[in-house]
Amino acid sequence: MSTETFVKDIKPGLKNLNLIFIVLETGRVTKTKDGHEVRTCKVADKTGSINISVWDDVGNLIQPGDIIRLTKGYASVFKGCLTLYTGRGGDLQKIGEFCMVYSEVPNFSEPNPEYVAQQSKG
Amino acid sequence: MEMQKGKGGAAGGGGGGGGKLLLSTLLDAKDELEERLERCVGIVTSLTNGLSEREANDALNAHICKGTPQHEEICLGLLTLVLTEPSQAQKCYRDLALVSRDGMNVVLQKINQILMEKYLKLQDTCRTQLVWLLRELVKSGVLGADGVCMTFMKQIAGGDVTAKNIWLAENVLEILTEQREWVLKSSILIAMAVYTYLRLIVDHHGTAPLQALRQKEVDFCISLLRERFMDCFMIGRDLVRLLQNVARIPEFEQLWKDIIHNPQVLSAQFTGVLQLLQSRTSRKFLACRLTPDMESKLLFMTSRVRFGQQKRYQDWFQRQYLSTPDSQSLRCDLIRYICGVVHPSNEVLSSDILPRWAIIGWLLTTCTSNVAASNAKLALFYDWLFFNPEKDSIMNIEPAILVMHHSMKPHPAITATLLDFMCRIIPNFYPPLEAHVRQGVFNSLTHIVEKRVLAHLAPLFDNPKLDKELRAMLREKFPEFCSSPSPPIEVKIEEPVSMEMDNHMSDKDDSCYDNAEAAFSDDEEDLNSKGKKREFRFHPIKETIVEEPVDITPFLDQLDESLKEKVLQLQKGSDTEAQCEVMQEIVDQVLEEDFDSEQLSVLASCLQELFKAHFRGEVLPEEITEE
Repeated sequence: MSTETFVKDIKPGLKNLNLIFIVLETGRVTKTKDGHEVRTCKVADKTGSINISVWDDVGNLIQPGDIIRLTKGYASVFKGCLTLYTGRGGDLQKIGEFCMVYSEVPNFSEPNPEYVAQQSKG
Repeated sequence: MEMQKGKGGAAGGGGGGGGKLLLSTLLDAKDELEERLERCVGIVTSLTNGLSEREANDALNAHICKGTPQHEEICLGLLTLVLTEPSQAQKCYRDLALVSRDGMNVVLQKINQILMEKYLKLQDTCRTQLVWLLRELVKSGVLGADGVCMTFMKQIAGGDVTAKNIWLAENVLEILTEQREWVLKSSILIAMAVYTYLRLIVDHHGTAPLQALRQKEVDFCISLLRERFMDCFMIGRDLVRLLQNVARIPEFEQLWKDIIHNPQVLSAQFTGVLQLLQSRTSRKFLACRLTPDMESKLLFMTSRVRFGQQKRYQDWFQRQYLSTPDSQSLRCDLIRYICGVVHPSNEVLSSDILPRWAIIGWLLTTCTSNVAASNAKLALFYDWLFFNPEKDSIMNIEPAILVMHHSMKPHPAITATLLDFMCRIIPNFYPPLEAHVRQGVFNSLTHIVEKRVLAHLAPLFDNPKLDKELRAMLREKFPEFCSSPSPPIEVKIEEPVSMEMDNHMSDKDDSCYDNAEAAFSDDEEDLNSKGKKREFRFHPIKETIVEEPVDITPFLDQLDESLKEKVLQLQKGSDTEAQCEVMQEIVDQVLEEDFDSEQLSVLASCLQELFKAHFRGEVLPEEITEE
C-alpha cells in the first residue's frame, strides 16, 4: 500500500515515493552521454519546492502549471542538491493543471553542504 | 488556443491513453470519463455483435429492461459510438432514439458534461460528430437541446481566431441559422445567442473568411434583435455595451438610429436606451463568454490563491489566453466576469486570498493597446454609470474603487487614469444622458462610503500625488467627496515616522482606513477637531522643546522670505497655539499649486531639526501621572 509523501519529507535515499506536485518551471534540455535528453524541472506542493529530473519524451511534454502524480519516485543528491527522480516501474502522470496551491519556499533542492559531505563519503 | 498536443509524445487516438474520444499523450493520466464511456461501448458491442438489426434491437431492449444502470450503459454506449464512429452514427442515433426511456435525458447530461469538462481535449472527429449530433437533436425536437446548444456556444473562446475555434463558431451559427423556427421557441436561447455572437463579431475581421463569418453573424444578430427585441432586452445593460462595440457596422448603425430615435419600431414595450441601461445584466450572460477552463482558473485564483502568491498563475493564464493582439478583447469579458459573477463570501473577503481588485489591476496593467485599455476601463465602470442601490449590487462596483485606492502607492498612474476616466465618462458616455450618468456615479460613490468599502474618499480624490489638472477636475465634479477637515500634510521627513496619508499596502482590510494610525494624536487637544478619524494634526507641544537652540541657519538661508520668517517664528515661539497657527500657514503655503519642491525638502529639514524631540517621542511628561 502506498502513501503519499510531501516535498518536505523527501530525503536522500528514500524510494517508492508517491507524491502530487505542480510544475513551476521547466529547464533546458541537456543531452546525456548515452543519447538521452534530460531536463530539470522545479516542482512544488504546499510544503515546499524541489527539483525533479525528467528524461526524454516525458521531459518534452511537461509544462509549467501541470499537476503531476509521481509514483515510485526516489530521491538522491546530485551535485550537492537534493533531486527527485522517477524510479523503475514508476510513472509521471498529468492529472490536471493550474488549480493547486503551492509554496515555493523552502526550496529543498538548494545546495546543501551536508549532502555534499555525504556524497563524498559514499 | 491550439488543441493540446504533446510536443514530443504521440498525440491522437494512438497516444498515451489510447482512447478514441480524447487526445492524450503519454504524460496524460487515463481519463475516467473516457474509460467509463468506452466500457459502455463494450457492453453495446458485445450485445449486438453478429446479430441482425432486429435481433440487435431486441438484445438492447432486453438489457435496458433490467434497470436504470443498464439503460444508462446502453444510452451512453450508443452516444459514444455516435461520437467515435462516424460511419455508424446515423444508425446508432436511430437506435438511441428508439431505446431511450427518459427523453434522452441521460444522454443530454453526458453531452453537457463532455462539453464542459473535456471539450479542449476532444479529438477532432468527436467534435465534428458532436456538432452533427446537436443538429440531429434539434431536428428531432428533443427537449433540452437548447441547453446543449448554449453549452456549445460557451466553448467558443473570445479573443481566439485559431482555426478550430472559428470552426466551432461557424458550425454552431449554421445550426442556429438553419433551425431558426426552433430557436425562436426559446427566449433564453435567443438572448444567449445574441449575446454570444454580438460579442464574437468584434473578433472576426481582417481576412476574407473572417469577414464572411462576420457578415453571417451580423445578419443573424440583427434579425433576432429586430424580430425579438424584448427577448434580447433581457440581457440588460451589457447589451448596450456589446452594441456600442459594433456600432460602426452599417446594419448596427441603422439599429442604433432606431434605438435612439424610434425605439417603438423595435418593440411597443421598449421606451428607449435608458430603460436598457437601467437594467442589470444577469450573471449568466457575463459568465457565458468565459469558457469552462477560463472560469475554473479565475475562480481558483479568487478563492484559493493567497495575495502575494499570484504571479505564476497570472503568467500561466496570460500565456494561455492573453498573449496575442487578437486576445485583448477577452479582457473586457474577464473584467465583467470578475465584477459581476465573482462575489466572494465574507469569509474569503476577510482572508488573505487574492482580492478581486488585484486581478483587475493585473488585467489593466497588462493591456497592450490603448483601445484595449479604454474598453477595459469601460467594462470596469459599466455598472457605475446607472447604478441604482435598489437594483444593483455593491459587489459590482467595489472592484473599481479598490483598484484606485490600492494602486495609489505602487501604481499611481493606474489610479490617475481611472479617476480621470471616472470624471470624463460622465459627459462622454452618451451626452443626452449625462445627468443620469452623473447620478449613477454619484450613487456608486455614496453607496461605497455608506457600505464602508472605503470610509473616506477624500484621500483618494484630493491626493497631492495626483496631477493638478486631475485634482481640479475631481474637486469640480465631486466636491462633496473631496472635502476634508484639515488639509493633508505631506512633509517629507527623513524620520521613519510617516505623515503620509496613504494607507499601507499590506493592509488587507479593505476599510483599512479605519485602522491606520495617525502619526501623532492627542485626543485631548485637537487642532481642528471635527470628529473625523483620520485627521492630521500637530500635537500641541506641552513643554518647551529642547534646552539648546538648534542651528538651522544653513537651511533658513535657502528658504524664500515668507517661509523663512515663519520658520523663525516656529523656532522662537514658545506659545504652542501660535506655533500651531504658524504651522498651519506653512502648510497652506506648501499646498499651493506651484510650490517649489526643492524648498519642500529644505523646509522639511528645518522642521525635522526643530521638532526632533517631538519625533523622538518625548511627548509624554517625565512622570506619568494619573491624568
